[in-house]
Amino acid sequence: MPRIFRTAPFRLTLLFVLLFASAAFAFLAYIYVATAGEATRRTDQEIRREMRSLVDVYDRAGIDAVNQSLIQRAASEKPFLYLLLTKDGRRISGSIEESPVEDFAGQPAWATFQVTDMDAEGREVKHPARGLQQQLHGGEILFVGADAGEDEAYVARVVRALWASVALVVLLGLAGGLLVSRNVSRTMVDLISVVERVRNGEQGVRARVRGARDEFDELAQGVNEMLDRLERSMQGHKHAGDAIAHDLRSPLTRLRARLETAYIDVEAGKGDATEALAQALDDTDGVLKTFGAVLSIARLQAAGQAPNPTLFDPADLAADISELYEPFCEEKDIEYASEIAKDLTVRGNREFLAQALANILDNAVKYTPAGGAIMLRVRRRSSGEVEFSVTDTGPGVPDEDRERVIQRFVRLENSRNEPGAGLGLSLVAAVAEAHGGRLELSEGPGKVGEMGPGLRVAFILPRA
Amino acid sequence: MRILIVEDDLEAAEAMAKGLTEAGHDCTHGADGEAGLAHARDGEFDVMVVDRMMPKMNGVQLVEALRREGDRTPVLFLSALGEVSDRVDGLQAGGDDYLVKPYAFPELIARIEALARRRDTGSVQTLLKVGELEMDLIARTVHRQGKEIDLQPREFQLLEFMMRHAGQSVTRTMLLEKVWHYHFDPQTNVIDVHISRLRSKIDKGFDRPMLQTVRGAGYRLDA
Repeated sequence: MPRIFRTAPFRLTLLFVLLFASAAFAFLAYIYVATAGEATRRTDQEIRREMRSLVDVYDRAGIDAVNQSLIQRAASEKPFLYLLLTKDGRRISGSIEESPVEDFAGQPAWATFQVTDMDAEGREVKHPARGLQQQLHGGEILFVGADAGEDEAYVARVVRALWASVALVVLLGLAGGLLVSRNVSRTMVDLISVVERVRNGEQGVRARVRGARDEFDELAQGVNEMLDRLERSMQGHKHAGDAIAHDLRSPLTRLRARLETAYIDVEAGKGDATEALAQALDDTDGVLKTFGAVLSIARLQAAGQAPNPTLFDPADLAADISELYEPFCEEKDIEYASEIAKDLTVRGNREFLAQALANILDNAVKYTPAGGAIMLRVRRRSSGEVEFSVTDTGPGVPDEDRERVIQRFVRLENSRNEPGAGLGLSLVAAVAEAHGGRLELSEGPGKVGEMGPGLRVAFILPRA
Repeated sequence: MRILIVEDDLEAAEAMAKGLTEAGHDCTHGADGEAGLAHARDGEFDVMVVDRMMPKMNGVQLVEALRREGDRTPVLFLSALGEVSDRVDGLQAGGDDYLVKPYAFPELIARIEALARRRDTGSVQTLLKVGELEMDLIARTVHRQGKEIDLQPREFQLLEFMMRHAGQSVTRTMLLEKVWHYHFDPQTNVIDVHISRLRSKIDKGFDRPMLQTVRGAGYRLDA
């Protein structure tokens, strides 16, 4: 069976053609009944009229005038069939031999019968006919019939037309269905091939969005977004693997070297074991922190959403965090200010959001020199989103690096010597993403003397 | 202090027991949940340290069983699972504190001692007293040598926690968890600044500092 016959659209088409053909058939059947009925009614009317006029003739002029009239009428263009009988049923005159009406009881009676005729080639043909039999006032019986052949032919033509149109409906439906199926199939085949190629491990394959904005485009877009996400996550994992290796290896290497040196020194009786051990402990803590952050990010990304979200006022959270960080800033001679909008609501995991804000502030404090300033703002954007932003007057992040610092483990070259695993903002970004929000980095207040241009980190949560 | 360690990782349990014994405590070890339950039923312990993931019976089941039997011994959960929900599960099961592995040893000792202390203070106190320092929990006032010390609300909470655990080391993480209710480690030592502010208020102008820094562990309030 060719592939197209197995496609869902073709099967649907078939179903619709079937339904439509049935409907058309029912419709045409009605037309047939109506038409055929009409033809019969017309014949009956004509017969009745003929009968009335003959009864008139009889009433005015008697039986002989009727006979006279019959002779004339039998010669006319469209002859009726006539039969005149005596009261007791004997034939007086007429164009047929005997009445098709059986068991005549004196009441007007209708009969359907067959007449035999010769066609143009001399062959014997039978026509259906109808007739009315009635008793005249004098007791004679008159039968008037009519050949229904003409009407029958008309009805037959209608029937033929009906069959032809049913055939046409089916053919056109099938052809249209095939066309539609082929179109739909092509789109589906495109999607299926994308799925198949991805399954075979190909990367960067994307479905074509035709711009028709129909459900196929929607599907294609959905598939593409899914692939984007998967690819990002895969790159994330791969990158994380590399980065863990890198970021854990250097402190581990350092730790090992220190321990080795200390061991040699202590063995030689000249080193201070305590100091080396303290340093080793510090290094180990660093490694563990990195590990913890990596784990948190991985879990958030794997879950795809923040656990146990609640509704709360972001102003409370901002005030809490400010309370934690403000003294710390003062200690470092950094001016801390906050501008917190009231009566907002956000939905999320308060703990993760607190951690995200703390990480942003950690970063700001780390990079802002003494004499600088940090500003925490909470406001509602015109879009209804809630934005937490932290602006500092540190060296900032160059435009081209902003996207990169959110990725895992990236620390800019000149900040290599600062403590921290470089996971701070990646964790923040992961928290934002898990809440359906995002992280935006932009320039701070600009350059002022030696300071600046600063960094503005905006953590945006969707409308609660 | 008698401490029950329920931990299936023998090496970790041994290291823990060694450290705790050196710190002057008596340790008993159960190698899985069932053994732990049997020990807990047999003996009187001041604190139990229970690993969450163990063969036969996990830590949560163990603690739930003990709590059903009316055993109120303070429990410190140890776990490699550090997520919020894991911690909440552990505390709901009847645990009193939760420490994520790997941990620094001073952190473990500080938490065990804090748990054991909690048990002593059965009655509700309205007045805390540590040496010259007095805290009135209802009037929200603090005096040292009779002189009133003006504290911010958070500084008051911080000092309250330190006073309740006077003589013990408390770690920065404990303070962040118990005073600020945050369960993450800031990269910067924000807590130090709060401590130094508190210290300047309660120690400045007095002959003897009460708030001590414990190297490698945290802080301690001495009488």
